[in-house]
Amino acid sequence: VSSQQFCALTDVLFRFLTEPKEVERFLAQLSDFATMNKISLGPLKSIVKSVLLVPSGALKRNLSSEQVRADFIALGLSEEKASYFAEQWKLNSPALTRLAVSQTLMINQLIDMEWKFGVTAGSSELEKVGSIFLQLKLVIKKGGQMENVYMELTLPQFYSFLHEMERVKTSLESFS
Amino acid sequence: QLVSALHNLTRHVVYRGLTKPEDILALFPENFHQNLKNLLTKIILENVSAWRNEAQASQISLPRLVDMDWRVDIKTSSDNISRMAVPTCLLQLKIQEDAALCGNNPVVSAVTVELSKETLDTMLEGLGRIRDQLSAVANK
Repeated sequence: VSSQQFCALTDVLFRFLTEPKEVERFLAQLSDFATMNKISLGPLKSIVKSVLLVPSGALKRNLSSEQVRADFIALGLSEEKASYFAEQWKLNSPALTRLAVSQTLMINQLIDMEWKFGVTAGSSELEKVGSIFLQLKLVIKKGGQMENVYMELTLPQFYSFLHEMERVKTSLESFS
Repeated sequence: QLVSALHNLTRHVVYRGLTKPEDILALFPENFHQNLKNLLTKIILENVSAWRNEAQASQISLPRLVDMDWRVDIKTSSDNISRMAVPTCLLQLKIQEDAALCGNNPVVSAVTVELSKETLDTMLEGLGRIRDQLSAVANK
């Protein structure tokens, strides 16, 4: 595989890594590459599979681009190609790391929050009430499914909830 | 019959939100015993605000928030990445089902939610908007 072809292939690989949902596009680009360069698709796919293992292993072990380059040279790739790959790795690693972090296990992740508030006008016990209530709906991802949690808060509860959440934010920020 | 009449009287007072003694006195019939009328009015007045609060606390509503706790964790590694330092927040909300449905044994369920920093920021934005809307309503 010539250097130019290798560079083009590397670009395709990294584009897929940064957008892992674009599987169809990746496969289409691979077959385009194969026909353009007169390589058969089967062996190309298996080479690509093994090449893809390198970045994910590197991500797992937080390798620097130097180490990625050394790994590739150890695997038998020419220096020029290894350097190109390592360069691409350096450019893409923040995005790839962010992607991996976002795929980290999250328990009961909060997906959405809706609210409405209003005034209780009257009830069967009290003719005129006029008290303000806040209703919150939290959409939570439990395992694979979404669950809706509904709750009502009085005004003082809302203000202390807001206060607590601001404390959480300060705490999270001090740790980043 | 007496208890039932008293019950109706107090419910009426609470319902209407009567707070002035004249209003309550006006409820009694013409030839009611004067001292008894004054005594009853005095007792009712003393209890009216407590009764109102209790009625409000036990009115039908969606499940109510009774308590909340939070903690901040730092994720240090996962199966995708062996080393990282990502802070995350765990929030536990204790929610009590509608008091009217449960009678004397309210069911309290706990919901634990995990929030990333981005989710928390978005949530705070939403809560800030609620606060602004509330002050707009209060100032009208």
